[in-house]
Amino acid sequence: MKKNQNRSRKDRGIPLFVFIIIVFGMLGVIVFSVAGKLSAEMSASAIQNLSESLNLIQCTIEAILKNEADFQKLIAQRVAAADNPIEYICVYERNETMVKLSLILEGEEEGVSNDGSKFTEEDLDFSAGGKVDDLPVSQSYVNYMGTWAYTMKCPVVKDDEEIGTLYIEYVYDSLDKSLPNGFYNNKAMLYIMDARSERLVLKPKGMGERSAGHLNLEDFYHANDIRERELRAKVDKCLKKGDNILFYHDIRGKQSLNYMWSVNNGTIYLIGYVPVEAIQQEGRTVNQNILIVVSVMLIAFFLCCLLYYFNQRQQIRIRKEREKEREQHNKQLAEALQAAQLASNSKTMFLSNMSHDIRTPMNAVLGFTALLGMEADNPVKVREYTKKITASGQHLLNLINDVLDVSKIESGKVVLNFEKFTLNALVSSIDAIIRPMADGRKQRFHVEVTGIKHEYLMGDETRINQILINLLSNAVKYTQEGGNIWFRIIGLKQRSSQFEHIRIEVEDDGYGMTPEYLETIFDAFTRAENSTTNKVQGTGLGMAITKNIVELMGGTIDVASEVDKGSIFKVELELRIPEEQIDGKFWQENGINRILVVDREQEECENIRVLMEEAGVMVDTVSVLEDALNIVKEKGGDSYQLVLLDWQVQEAGSVSVVRKIREVIADMAPVLLLTPYAAEGIETALEIDHTEVLSKPFFVSALKEKILEMQGETMGETVPAEEACISLEGLHFLAAEDNEINAEILSEILEMEGASCEVVENGKLVLERFEQATEGEFDAILMDVQMPVMNGYDATKAIRALERSDATKIPIIAMTANAFAEDEKDALDAGMNVHMAKPIDVELLKKIINKYVQGKG
Amino acid sequence: MRKINLIKKWVAVSLAAFMALTLAACGIGEPNDDIIITEDTEEKTVNLFSPMEKTDPDAENIARSAFDKTILLAEEKLGINVAYRTYTAEDYQDKTYDDVTLERARNNMDDLYLLNPDTVQKLGEEGKLLDLSDLACVKNLREVVKTANTVNGKLVAIPQEVVAYGLFVNKDMFDKYKLQLPETPEEFLECCRVFKENGIETPIGANRWWLETFVFAQAFADMYNGGDTEAEIAKLNSGESKYSDYMRPGFEFLQELIDKGYVDAKKAYVSEAIEGEGNDFLAQKTPIVMAYWGAANTETAYGKPDFNMQVIGFPSSHGQMPVVPITGFGIGTQAEHLQDAKDMLDMILSDEALQVYTETNKVISPSKNVEVDCIPALKPLNDRIEEDIYVLASNASLKLEQWGNTCLIVRELLNGATVDECMAQFDKLQEETLDK
Repeated sequence: MKKNQNRSRKDRGIPLFVFIIIVFGMLGVIVFSVAGKLSAEMSASAIQNLSESLNLIQCTIEAILKNEADFQKLIAQRVAAADNPIEYICVYERNETMVKLSLILEGEEEGVSNDGSKFTEEDLDFSAGGKVDDLPVSQSYVNYMGTWAYTMKCPVVKDDEEIGTLYIEYVYDSLDKSLPNGFYNNKAMLYIMDARSERLVLKPKGMGERSAGHLNLEDFYHANDIRERELRAKVDKCLKKGDNILFYHDIRGKQSLNYMWSVNNGTIYLIGYVPVEAIQQEGRTVNQNILIVVSVMLIAFFLCCLLYYFNQRQQIRIRKEREKEREQHNKQLAEALQAAQLASNSKTMFLSNMSHDIRTPMNAVLGFTALLGMEADNPVKVREYTKKITASGQHLLNLINDVLDVSKIESGKVVLNFEKFTLNALVSSIDAIIRPMADGRKQRFHVEVTGIKHEYLMGDETRINQILINLLSNAVKYTQEGGNIWFRIIGLKQRSSQFEHIRIEVEDDGYGMTPEYLETIFDAFTRAENSTTNKVQGTGLGMAITKNIVELMGGTIDVASEVDKGSIFKVELELRIPEEQIDGKFWQENGINRILVVDREQEECENIRVLMEEAGVMVDTVSVLEDALNIVKEKGGDSYQLVLLDWQVQEAGSVSVVRKIREVIADMAPVLLLTPYAAEGIETALEIDHTEVLSKPFFVSALKEKILEMQGETMGETVPAEEACISLEGLHFLAAEDNEINAEILSEILEMEGASCEVVENGKLVLERFEQATEGEFDAILMDVQMPVMNGYDATKAIRALERSDATKIPIIAMTANAFAEDEKDALDAGMNVHMAKPIDVELLKKIINKYVQGKG
Repeated sequence: MRKINLIKKWVAVSLAAFMALTLAACGIGEPNDDIIITEDTEEKTVNLFSPMEKTDPDAENIARSAFDKTILLAEEKLGINVAYRTYTAEDYQDKTYDDVTLERARNNMDDLYLLNPDTVQKLGEEGKLLDLSDLACVKNLREVVKTANTVNGKLVAIPQEVVAYGLFVNKDMFDKYKLQLPETPEEFLECCRVFKENGIETPIGANRWWLETFVFAQAFADMYNGGDTEAEIAKLNSGESKYSDYMRPGFEFLQELIDKGYVDAKKAYVSEAIEGEGNDFLAQKTPIVMAYWGAANTETAYGKPDFNMQVIGFPSSHGQMPVVPITGFGIGTQAEHLQDAKDMLDMILSDEALQVYTETNKVISPSKNVEVDCIPALKPLNDRIEEDIYVLASNASLKLEQWGNTCLIVRELLNGATVDECMAQFDKLQEETLDK
C-alpha cells in the first residue's frame, strides 16, 4: 500500500519535474535568442561604428595629406616666384610636419636641401605611383631624424615652364597629433602601414598594448597568429586593390575584429584589430544584465521551490506523524480491546474454572456430609468422611486465599513486612513442606545452597516462603512421579555491601511448558492445560501472585522451559543485610576456634569455610578420611573442637569412619554428620557419643542451634513435650462473633476441648460484658473483627483503655476471615495479642491459647 | 526542525534583502542633465625610445615583464604616462636600432632612451645626454656602473641590470666527448676540433652582433685584471698605445675559428642575435653559443633547454672571462619633458624598482643594495663576477667607442676582410677619435 503511495507520489513528481524542465528550457531558449539577437544587432551596430571611426581617421589623414600637398604647391609657386629659388629654399627652417625641403632644378641631377646639404632623388622611391592631390608621394623610409617619413614632389612652374622640382619630407609623427587618443576605450590596436613596403610606420599613441614590436605586415600576422593562407591571400588582394577589409580572427585568445583600412587610395593603410568584447561592450552589458535578471529570477524561483519543498516535506512529515500516532492509537485501542477481551475471556474462563474448582470440593463436602448423615453410626466411615470433608474444605480455603491474594496484589494493597530472618529457617521450613510432597510423588528433592555470605537477612519471610512454596509445589505438581526437583539458593556478586544478592532456582525435569504458554505464565487466571496437567488441581493464580510479589520486592523472575524436558525458574532478589549478623562471641564462649570439615564436595567445603571464617572460626577441609585422620593426628586431638563429617564421605556407611574420627578427636568435641536426609544406618552412628546429624545444606545458625541442643542434652535438659498434652480444660472465654454458625462452631469446639465460652454479637457488647465481668472471669477474649455496631479493633482499643487492672493483660485473640499480613498488623496495632485466620484450626487455636493463657491450661 | 526554521529565516532574510536592494537600485537614476561636459585632463607623458613596445605585465616575455613592472610602478607613483616609441630593423640592410637611436637623440625626438654602450659613448661625447649624477638613485650604484658610463666627468646613462656576456655551452655534449670546459683560447680551439671531428659541422653558433665578445675577453683580460687599468686607458686615449695591439689576438683567434670552419662566417654576418643560432643550440646541433646573462632566464631565449646548460666566461689568458658591456637609460639634454623624464628614471632605478626587476629577471643589479640568487646554469659566470674577474666591453672613459666599432669591424672580418685590414681600421678610428 505504502509502496503504491510512494509510487503514485513519484509518478506525480516526474511530470512536474519534466514540466519545470520544459518551462526552463523554453525560458532559456527565449533568453538565449533575445540575447543573441541583441548581440547580433549590437555587433552590426558596432561594426558600423568601427567603420565610421576608421573613416574618420582615414578622412583626417587624407585631409592632412591634402593640406600638405596644397601647401607644397603654394611653396612651389613661391619658389617659382623667387628670384633665386635655391636661396629661397635655404632660408626655410624645418617644422614638426615638414622636416626637409629640397629643390632640384630642371635638367640637374643634384639639388640642395634647406639645411644646405646636397640632395638627389636616388634615395627616394616613387615607383609605387602613390599620389596626393596629383603630387607623387614616395615610399616611406626612416629619415635622418630616425623616424618614419615620406616625401612628396611638386613641379616648380614658372611661366608655364617647369624650372625644377620641389621635394618636401613629412614625418608620420605629425599625424599622431591629429589622430584620436585611442578608441574603443584603448582596447583597439591601430598601426599606420606603408602599403608598398608593408612597413608599419606609426603607432599612434594610446592605440593598444602588445607583446612585441611590430615591424611590418608579416610581423603583424606572425605576432597575432594569423596564418590562414586563404585569409591572407584575400587580405593581400584587397591591399593591392586598395579596398577596405574587415575580418574576424582570434588575437591572443580573444575573438577580435581585424581591419585593413585604405587611406589615400591605398598608399597607406590603417591596420589593427578591436577585440569583439570591446566592440560589443554595450551588448555584453545588456546581456549581462539580462543574465543577472534571469539569474535572480531563477534564484528566487529556486528559493520558492525550496521553501515549497521544505513546507511540503514538513507537511508530509506532520501527516506521517499524525498517521503514525493514529496508527499507534488504533493499535493501542486494538490491544486494549484485545486485552479486555482476553481479560474478559480469562475471567470467564476463570469463573468457569472457579466454578468447576469450587464445585468439585463443594460437591465432596456436600456429598460426604450427606453420606455422613447416613453413616452416622459407623465411626470408621464418619472419620473417613470427615477427613475427606476437611481436605475438600482446606482446598476451598486455599482457593479463596489465592483469589484474595491476587485481588489484593492487583489493587496494590499488599504491604511487605520486613523482618530479620535466617536462610536456615527458610530452607528448613520449605524443606519440611516440600520434601513430604515430593516424597509422596516419589520425586527426588535436592536442596543446594552455595555462595551465601550472610545467613541473616532482612525481608518478608512469609512472602518469600510463599514464592518458594508456589514455585516448588508447582514443580512437584508438574513433574511426573520419580522425577527430580532442584532447589538452589545461590549467592551472587554483591552490587552493594548492604545487600545480599541471591538467586533462587527451582528446576525440575517434569512436563515442561510450551513456548506459547510461557508467554502467559505470569498472567492471572491462566493455567497450563493438557491431558497430563488437567489432573492437577490449581487456581491458576499462583504464578501471577509469585511474579507480583517478586516485583514488589524489587526482584526479577525468569523462566525457561521445554516440553517434556522440564522447567527452570530463576528469581533474583536483593535482601538487606542486618547490621548485627552472627554472634561471634558464641563460638568464643563455647571454646570453638577451629573445626575440621570432611566432605567430598569441594564446593561444600568452601561454602562452610566462608561462612565459618566470617564467624571467626578457623576451618580445615579435607576430602578423604585418611587426610582427616592424618591432619588430626598431626595437629593433635585437641586442635579441633568440632568435626563436620559428610555422611557420604565413604560409601557403604560411615559408622566406621565416625568411630575412627572419634578415636583421634577429643572426647567432648561433637562430630556432626552432614546429610541431606535421614540416611540408612545413620541411627547406628548416632549411638556414638557426641555424634549428631546436621541437615544439609549447611547453615551456621543451624550448627549453632545443634550445638546448643547438644549442650542442653548434656546438661540433662529435656525438650518440653508441649503440643502433645495441650488442653483447654476449664478455661472460660468471651467471644465476639456476629455470625451464628461461626459462633456455634466456636462454642462447640471449645466445649469439646472442655472449655466454656460466652458469645456476644458485636464489639460493643463485648466491651460491656467485659466491663461487667469480674477480674479473672474470662481467660481470654476471642474477637471477630468485622462486626456490626462496633468492630473488633475499636472494641479492643476500648477494652485496653478501660481502667481496670486486667484490661491490658487479658489476652485478646483476633479471629477473623481477614487473613492477611496487614490484617494481622492492624490487629496487633489495635492492641490484640495475636491474630488467627478463620476458619478455625483447632490445633492452632489450642497452641495460641496455651501460649497466652499461661498457668491455666 | 530547528535546522528548517533556520533555513526559513535565512530565506526570508535573503528575500527581504534582495527586495530592498532591488528597490534601492530602482531609485538610483541617471542625473537628469542633458548637458554633458567633459574636461580635458592634462596627462603628463614621458616619451621613451626603446627596441620594444609597451606591453601588459602579464605578457609571456619575461624580460619585458620585468621592465614593464618597474615602469608601471613608476607610472603609479608619479602619475606620469610613459609613451613607448620603438624601432626594429627589418634586416641587416636596414638602419640599426643604434643608428636610429643616434638620429633621434640628435634631433631631440624623445625624452628617455634605452642606449647600447656605443651610443652611450657617442651621444655622451656629443653632449646630447643629461648628466644624471644628481639623481637620488646614483648613490646606490656599483662603481663599475658609474665608471663605465661616465663621459667627460658626466654620468650619462644608468642601466637596470649589469649585462654580462658569456658562453652558453651544452655540458652534455662536452661530457659526451670527454671535454673539459675550456679556460684558454687554445683549449677552446681543441674543443672545437674534437667537436668538428665528431661530425658537428659548426661547433660555434654566432650572429652579427656578439662575436666581438671573444675579442674583448682576450684584449682586456690583462688590463682589467691585474694591470694598471687607468694608466693603460690613459695611454690609449693619448695614442701612446694602439687599440690594434690589444685587438689583434682576438681577431686572429676569430679568423682561426672562421678558417677552421668552427664559425659559419657567412651565416653569422646576416644573422640576428639568438634568432640565427638559437634553434641549432637548443636542438643540440651546436654545443656553443654566446649570449647575455638574461638569455639564460628567458624562456623565449635559452631559459628552458633540454640539456645541462652551463654559462661560462670567454677563453682568455686569465681563464674564463665574463664580458660586461654597460648599457643604460639616458635623457636627452633638450628633452621636451625633462623633469618628468628625470623623475621617471630616478624611480625606475630606485632600489624598490630594481628589486622588482632583479627578482623577476634574476640578473645582477646595478644597485649595490639589491642582490638575488642566480639560477644554477649561471653559477660559473656569476662566480667569476663575484671574484671581480671580468672585462668591460664598453668604457666611456676610453675615447674610442669600442662596443659598436668593434662589432662593425668584426662584421668586416666576417665579410672577408683580413685581420690586418681590421687592425688598420682600428688605427684609423683611433687616429680620427684622437684628432677630434
